Amino acid sequence: MRIGTTNGNGTDGELDARLSELFVAYRAACPEPAASVNFMPEMWAKIEARKSSTMFGRLAKALVTAAIAASLILGTLAATSNNQGKNEPGNYLEVLAAEHASALEPLSLERVSLMEQQ
Amino acid sequence: MLVEFELIQKARGGDGGAFNQVVTAYRRRILGTISRLIGRPEDVEDVAQEVFMRLYFSLDQLRTPEVFEPWLYRLTVNACYDYLRKSKRRRESRMSDLSEQQVTLADAAAGSKAQTDESEKRRTRDLVNGLLASVSEEDRVLLTMKEVEGLSLKEMEKIYGVNENALKVRLFRARQRVLKNMKRGNEFL
Repeated sequence: MRIGTTNGNGTDGELDARLSELFVAYRAACPEPAASVNFMPEMWAKIEARKSSTMFGRLAKALVTAAIAASLILGTLAATSNNQGKNEPGNYLEVLAAEHASALEPLSLERVSLMEQQ
Repeated sequence: MLVEFELIQKARGGDGGAFNQVVTAYRRRILGTISRLIGRPEDVEDVAQEVFMRLYFSLDQLRTPEVFEPWLYRLTVNACYDYLRKSKRRRESRMSDLSEQQVTLADAAAGSKAQTDESEKRRTRDLVNGLLASVSEEDRVLLTMKEVEGLSLKEMEKIYGVNENALKVRLFRARQRVLKNMKRGNEFL
């Protein structure tokens, strides 16, 4: 087998055959790696780490879901209470204005005539 | 299959000892495949642990014993893809980028079939790794599975989940790309 020949004149067929031979040689040249003694402990450590990260992820998801649900409930309650509040006087100024509504009304002709009589 | 399906079922049920036996049975084969797929001996164990970890967490999806080995190969291929993409170690090198010394050494390695010492093997490995580094990860893995691992098209069909004709086309194109780079390397010199 000749690979990497410097003349570059190999036909496509020859080159193809060379590549096939090279792959076979590569297979033979690659050592069969043996696992180290730490292979299994390290693998189990990775499995355990992923298990705990998965559990943490699930817990985080549950917390996020609960937070969203709580927000929705609180939002609904707040909206409902605001609607009820609109029927009642809102603040101190509004209460005052309601109580003295007549005094604040513009003078009518009847009221002017009454005043003249007095 | 290297193990009984019962053992896999036990492992699926959470039996750590059974899972250890499954790993022990396939470890050597998987390490060898990964070694040839990624071409980096120092990272082979790490990728193999990733493969078996993925196996552990996906065992409950396994229904029939026939698909176990193709499935394990698929996990191996996917882990190798991920490794090759992450590592970004793939140089955009082509054969022409290899140093003259490398090619001369590779030439010598190829010419002396009788010489089988470690340095010759290393040169062959370097040459093929250089060639495979000049194509995409997909091409590299596909060609290695077929040409180096010696898997049949039927076996690859199960691993890739595509039909034989599609595989043939992809293999042909991948091989042409490698040949093109090989040719370019020859012309350069």
